[in-house]
Amino acid sequence: MNGFVIWLMILLGLAEVMVKRRTVAVGLVTAQALILVGFAISEANSIDRLIIAGALALRAFGLAFLYIYLIRRTHEVTPVIASIGPLSRAGIAISLSLALIWLFGSTTLVTPDTSKAVLVLVVFGVVTVITRRATLLQVLGIVLIENGLALSALVIPGGSSLFIEIGVTLDLILMSLVASAFHFRIFSEFGTANAGALRSLRD
Amino acid sequence: MTDVRSIEILAAATVGCPILCALLICFLSEQKILIFSKIAGIGTGCFGILLSSLLILDRRLQFDNKWIILDYRSAITIAVISIIGALSVGASFQYMKTQKDSIVGEHRRIRAYYIGIFLFWAITFAVPMAANIGFAWLLIEATTAMSALLVGFSGKKRALEAGWKYLILTSMGLGVALLGISLLASKIPVLGLNGMTWSAMHDFSGSHQEAMIIYIIIASGLATKIGWAPVHNWLPDAHSEAPPPVSGMLSAALLPTVLIVAWRFEIGFGAIIGRQSAQRIFILFGILSIAIAIPFLWQSLPWKRMLAYSSLENMGILALGIGFGNPIAIAGVVIHILGHAIAKSYGFYTSTPLFRHEPNAYRHTASGIARSSPALGVAMGTALGTLAAIPPSPLFISEVFIVFGGIESGHAVAAVIAVLLLALVFLGISHSLIELLAGKSFAHRVNVRFTRIEYLSFFFVVIALLGLTVVAFWLPSSHFIKALV
Repeated sequence: MNGFVIWLMILLGLAEVMVKRRTVAVGLVTAQALILVGFAISEANSIDRLIIAGALALRAFGLAFLYIYLIRRTHEVTPVIASIGPLSRAGIAISLSLALIWLFGSTTLVTPDTSKAVLVLVVFGVVTVITRRATLLQVLGIVLIENGLALSALVIPGGSSLFIEIGVTLDLILMSLVASAFHFRIFSEFGTANAGALRSLRD
Repeated sequence: MTDVRSIEILAAATVGCPILCALLICFLSEQKILIFSKIAGIGTGCFGILLSSLLILDRRLQFDNKWIILDYRSAITIAVISIIGALSVGASFQYMKTQKDSIVGEHRRIRAYYIGIFLFWAITFAVPMAANIGFAWLLIEATTAMSALLVGFSGKKRALEAGWKYLILTSMGLGVALLGISLLASKIPVLGLNGMTWSAMHDFSGSHQEAMIIYIIIASGLATKIGWAPVHNWLPDAHSEAPPPVSGMLSAALLPTVLIVAWRFEIGFGAIIGRQSAQRIFILFGILSIAIAIPFLWQSLPWKRMLAYSSLENMGILALGIGFGNPIAIAGVVIHILGHAIAKSYGFYTSTPLFRHEPNAYRHTASGIARSSPALGVAMGTALGTLAAIPPSPLFISEVFIVFGGIESGHAVAAVIAVLLLALVFLGISHSLIELLAGKSFAHRVNVRFTRIEYLSFFFVVIALLGLTVVAFWLPSSHFIKALV
């Protein structure tokens, strides 16, 4: 995987951490997934690899349609504001990534660049889940983590197992469907899909 | 049933039976679903018990390939999942009769619940049979999606909050575990599914430092799902807000099942990073989990929430036992998994009659129940007394075994800390037990009578717990335990 594509994946991930609108966030993770599809097709040397590319494409479009449908059905009167501003979120994400690269720097997948990119995308996803309040953006944080992991699966020498890749895709789709059911119910019960409103369980 | 091929078929039937039941439920009327589920629950449980008994009684039937592993660890877990699953499906009948709220519409409530619980049961069965870490990960992630729906099933605000936290936090944690699995796969020369089997981990080609990093990443990711501190935040909420039969399955069956996966990983990868280093991580998780549960167990919490924090403590005890890793500690782990499963699930099931008796118990401490409803009080007290490890509770024996195991394996400091922490846990739960039996009773309580089935379940639980206590003394010297170490 060349450096330009890796940097593009990282920049899209960083934009995901900072972005305010849900539709833009959906566009960013979908763009990342489509880059992965392109890479999988360009590197495909067997039918298994093509099937993996197909599964990734199906996941990218399927989830994009699902999330856009959710956004249209759960229109927020005022946008759900995150507790931390976009620049601070980016600062946290970058600092944490650099710290973990320093800590885990010796662990490499194929090239040091790809392993660092995977680590950074996972960190960006975790920061998105933790710092965002909009329930859909939290789910997109998980998708960002999975995009990073899909990248790692694609660069493993000889490729990872077809079965595992298809399974991971199905699990992500299943998780997204369940999260969608919760998103709807939370919106109808609380009048907003804001995870910040979910604070009644305290000891 | 004497050859490996038959065992393979039986294992497939054990997983397939609840899936088939879920499919059949799609076509039955609501009244028939309630009756069918009871019978199907017993049938599925019998398949699991048969499989687990055969694996324990005849070691020649154990095997593993790139897909399935059936060994003593699988056998223990399948036995627990079978019993707890069958009891939970049975206990659901009473729950569905008394609770009308749900995340789906009124007319789909019963069908959706039973389809969900049977599918959750099927996936949970498959987890301890998974022969490689990638396959196990997929199944664990699938249990999250399925059980999250059940946690939020009542559709109440608090249940939605609990279900959402559970779904997001455990998915995030499992994402971290998958990162570790990817790194692991890149360092094993054998490609494909074969590269990730428990035995293929010995072929790891990276450096020691890389191995240590991968071990910590995967263990931390799995810890999120097991509910080990400090990544346990979802556990008290999910276990306390789920319907009682689902809480029973989550706490008594699902947590130990994921723990078995972590244990397999500890053994498989311990050969690479050094068994002692691998065990130390478990000991750390164990001590931290017990210590963090203590302040909550000392509070006057609602019944289910207290049981949920007790799960955190018990998963910590199991982590300690696996971390100590010698025969006596492992015997303690086996007894603890079984004893905890019986007592904890029974504790959760008693919350259905408890909420009928005292509707405020949903939010407030269950106090003086034995005075207002002696049968219910005794049932709840039995569960809590067992969890407090009051002799002759099998959990008393298991905790003693684990502590002795710690001293014997050269982890004396950790064992002493564990004793102090367990003493504090004992005091906290004992206080709740006294409050439950002899605390202030309120006049407005609804009089509930135990049905014949409820009395029978109580006797079954007491006999099972006492039987386990007796078996516990024989266990440390058995071949069964030697094979697990």
